[in-house]
Amino acid sequence: MNLKKLLDLINIEADFISLREIKSQTISMSVRNEVFEGLGSSLDHGLMVEVMVNGQIAYGATNSFDLSEIKKVAIIARDSAILASRYCLTKFNQSVRPQTVGEYSSPAKSGLDQFNPKDMTDLLMSLSSAMKIHDHLISRSCAFSIAETESHLVATNGSDIRQKIIRSSIGLSATASCEKGSQRRTFGDALSAQSGFESFDRQKLSKEAQRIANEALQLLDAEDCPTEAMDLLLAPDQMFLQIHESIGHPLELDRILGDERNYAGWSFVKPADFGSLRYGSELMNVTFDPTVLGQNASYFADDIGSLATREYLIRNGILERGLGSLESQKRLNLPGVSSQRATSWNRAPIDRMANVNLEPGHSSFEDMLASIERGVYMKTTRSWSIDDYRNKFQFGCEWGQLIENGKLTKLVKNPNYRGITAPFWNQLKMLGDKSTYEIGGLTNCGKGEPNQVIFVGHASPACLFSHIEVFGGGK
Amino acid sequence: MEAMNSSNFEIFSKKILNEITSDEALTLTLSAEETLFARISKAKVRQMTNLNQAFIDYKFIKGNKTLTYTLPFLGVEDDILKAVKKLSIAREWIKSIPEDPYLVRPEFYGVTKDENLSEPLNSNDMLSLVLDSASKVDLAGVFSTGDIVRATINSVGQFHWFKTRNFYLDYSLYNEKQKAVKSLYAGSHWEASALQANLTESEYKLSLMNRASKKIERGSYRTYLAPSAVAELLGTLSWGGVSMGEHQRGNGSLRDLWEKKKSLSTKFTLNEDFNLGMSPRFNESGEVAPIVLPLVENGELKNFLTSTRTANEYKVNSNFASDWESMRSPVVSNGNLSKENIYKEIGTGLYLSDLHYLNWSDRESARITGMTRYACFWVENGEIVCPIEDLRFDESYYSLFGDKLVDLTNFSEIIPQTGSYERRDVGGSQTPGILVNDFKFTL
Repeated sequence: MNLKKLLDLINIEADFISLREIKSQTISMSVRNEVFEGLGSSLDHGLMVEVMVNGQIAYGATNSFDLSEIKKVAIIARDSAILASRYCLTKFNQSVRPQTVGEYSSPAKSGLDQFNPKDMTDLLMSLSSAMKIHDHLISRSCAFSIAETESHLVATNGSDIRQKIIRSSIGLSATASCEKGSQRRTFGDALSAQSGFESFDRQKLSKEAQRIANEALQLLDAEDCPTEAMDLLLAPDQMFLQIHESIGHPLELDRILGDERNYAGWSFVKPADFGSLRYGSELMNVTFDPTVLGQNASYFADDIGSLATREYLIRNGILERGLGSLESQKRLNLPGVSSQRATSWNRAPIDRMANVNLEPGHSSFEDMLASIERGVYMKTTRSWSIDDYRNKFQFGCEWGQLIENGKLTKLVKNPNYRGITAPFWNQLKMLGDKSTYEIGGLTNCGKGEPNQVIFVGHASPACLFSHIEVFGGGK
Repeated sequence: MEAMNSSNFEIFSKKILNEITSDEALTLTLSAEETLFARISKAKVRQMTNLNQAFIDYKFIKGNKTLTYTLPFLGVEDDILKAVKKLSIAREWIKSIPEDPYLVRPEFYGVTKDENLSEPLNSNDMLSLVLDSASKVDLAGVFSTGDIVRATINSVGQFHWFKTRNFYLDYSLYNEKQKAVKSLYAGSHWEASALQANLTESEYKLSLMNRASKKIERGSYRTYLAPSAVAELLGTLSWGGVSMGEHQRGNGSLRDLWEKKKSLSTKFTLNEDFNLGMSPRFNESGEVAPIVLPLVENGELKNFLTSTRTANEYKVNSNFASDWESMRSPVVSNGNLSKENIYKEIGTGLYLSDLHYLNWSDRESARITGMTRYACFWVENGEIVCPIEDLRFDESYYSLFGDKLVDLTNFSEIIPQTGSYERRDVGGSQTPGILVNDFKFTL
C-alpha cells in the first residue's frame, strides 16, 4: 500500500493531515521448571489519521486498509476536530508539525525472520536447567521476546519518515522457597535493547542463571534489612527505576501542564523551575538521548516527525529542560525534546520519555565502598511506588548487602528505601565512573488517558546517596 | 464495523475451524471495539481519538503441543487468507516445540449470547454536554463511549458472545490550591440530569477542600477508607495475591492464610461474583467460571483463583480463572457501619477517599505501600476539620482486612473498570468502605 497515494486520496478539507502506519510483530516464548510454557506471536497492524482543523488536532484509527474505511475514519477525525475546536484547550498551527524526511533502522542484525523455535526452546531449557541447583528453587523461569516494529509517517507538509526497530530481551527468574520463606532473584527485566537474536549469548546467560539461583538461595538465610538511616549505594539496575520515576515522569511537560492529573498525576516541578531549580547535587547530569546506538528507545524522529536530538535535562544538578513535544513547548513557552510518542497506531502521541540517562561520574565502585562507614548496597528492582506529584517514593530491591567500614559484609533480604525526590537527589554523594555504567531498557511504562504502554531506555552508573531511610520486610 | 457483528465472527470462525485436522484443536477469542476517547484538561478538549479495532487470539493445539498467535480481524474475506497462512506457519513451528504436560484442551461449555445494548448513544452530543456542564470548573480526565465485544469460539462447538455499549466520564475537579476530588459517571443509560448531579456533588466535595491542608505526622491513625480506596486495595490483592499459580510458585502473598498461620477478620468476606454483570464469565479459553466463587469467607481462605493449566500442573481443582488468575468481578460483603455514622466512628483520625500507586512492599507478609490521593481529610471528634497533605502508607492486608478492621459499611459502591491499555477494559468491582484502627503511615 502506498501511503503517500492514500494521503492524496483522502479528499477532505483540513489544515493538516498525516497518516501513521504501524506494523508490529512480536514473538515470545517461556519455559518454567524445564517445562515448555508457551510460544506466542502477534501481528498488530493499523493506521492513525491525524487531522488539524481550526487549530485543533483530532485522530481516527483503524486496522482496516480499505480506502473507503480510511476515508470514513478521516471524516470522523475531521468532524471531531471541528467539534473539539469549540472547546479548544490550545489552538495550534503547523509549526507543531515539522517537515521531516528520513529513515531509521535499529542496529539489530537478526530479526523475526531468523526465529528458530527449536533453538530458542533449547536455549530456554538450558537456562532453566542452569537454575536447578537445589530443591528449594521451586520456580525457575526463562522468557524471551522479540518485537519488530515498522512505522511510516506521511503528512501533507511533505514529511515522510520510515523507521524499523527491532527490540529483544531475555528475562530470568529464580524463586527459592523453604520453611523460612520465599525469595526471588531476577535478571534481564530492565535490559531490553534494540538488538536481535545475535545478542542472546548462551554462556553469559547461563552464568547469570546460576548466579541468580545461588543468590535466591542465599537470601533465604539472610536477616531482614535493618531499619535506620544510612548511606545507600544503588546498582545501575535499580538506578534505572530511580531515574524513571523521580526524574523522567516529573519532567514530562504534559504532567506539568496538568493533562495527566486524573491518571498518572501532576508534577512537583513548576514551569518557573526550568533554568533555576537545584534538582540534585552538582554531580548530576541527565540527558534525553534517543541517538544512543542500540539503546531501547532510540529513533530518528518521534511520532509527529520531530527530529531526535540529545539534550541536557539536568546539568550540574540544575534543571534545564523538560520532556515535552512541540505542542507542550508552545503551550508553556519552554524548550523541550522530540518525545511525542504513541504506543501504537491506535493511540494519539503524547509527551513521553525516550532514553533518559544519568551520565557517569568519576568514582570507582571501590572508591565509593571505601568511603562508606555504614551503609547498604541494593540491586534489582522489586517494588516501586511514588506519589502523583512524584515526591514521596518507596522502592524495594531484591538484593541487599550491608557495607561496614568500607567493605561489603552481611547479606540482607527485603531491602527497601524511601525518600522525597529533590532532597534525595541532593543527597547524591558520589557518582560511579564508566566502569560502573550500564545501559538498560524498560518495556512497560504506562501513562495517558486512554492508557498507553511504551518502551523507554535508561542508563546509569552506580550511585551513592547519603543518609537515606532504609528498612526491611516482615510485619 | 463488520468485526462487531456476531454472525461475521461466527462465519469466519467456522471457515477456519474447517481447516483443522483430527489431531488439532483451535480456540478463537475476539476483542473488538468502536470507541471515542476524549482526553480533557481544564474542561477543554486536549485530544480526541475515534478508534475502530478488532483482533483475535488463536490458541492452536496439535497432539500434545500448543502455541498461540494474535491477528487483526476486520470481518472481511481477506481475514480467511491471512488466518489460513498463519495456521500453516503455526503447524511448522509446532513441530519444533516440546509437548505441554499441562495442556488445556478446549471443551464444550455451551453457547451463550449476551448483548447489553442500550439505545444508540450520540457520542458528540454527550461530550458537548459534559464540556458545557463543566465549563466553570477545572476538570481533567477522560470521556469514553462506544461498543465493546468479547467472544470466544472453539473447535468442539462452544460459542460465547458478549457485547456491551457503555460510557464513562472518569474525572477529577481541582481548586486553586491544586486540591482535587475524584469521581466517575458511568453506565449504559445516559441521563443528562445524572451527569449534572454527579458534577454538582463533586463541586460540593471540592468546596470542602478549600480549607488549608494539614500536614499529618507519620504514625498510626484510625482511618476510614471509602469504597474507591478499598477497590484499589482489591486491585493490588488481585496482582498475584489470590492466584493459586503464584502461591505454588512461591510468589504469592497469602501463604500464611493458606497454611492457617494467620487469619483475617471474621467480618471480611470476598467473592468472585459474576452477578455483578460487568464482566463475561468465560475466560480466554472459553471456560465458564462459577457464578459465585468464595475466596475469603468470614476471614477464612476458601479458594485461590485457579486456572485449568495451574490445576493440571499442581493437581488441584480448576475454578476456570483467567490465565493471570486475577479477580475479574470481586465483591466484598457489607458490614454494619452506616453512612451517617462514618465520621462519628472515626472519632479522631483520617477519612481517605482514594489511594494511589499501590505496590507490594513485602509479599511474604502481605504488606503493601501506596499514597493517599484526592479528597482525604483530617477528622476530629467526629467532624471533618480540613484536607490533609498526601501521606504514604505501608500496611499489611492481615491488618487492613484482619486484626485492625473495625467494620465495613452497610452500603457498597460498584466501581467499573476504566482501564484502556491496548483495549477498553470490561468488568468492575463492588465494595463497601472500611474503618480500620492504627493504619500505619510512613512518610
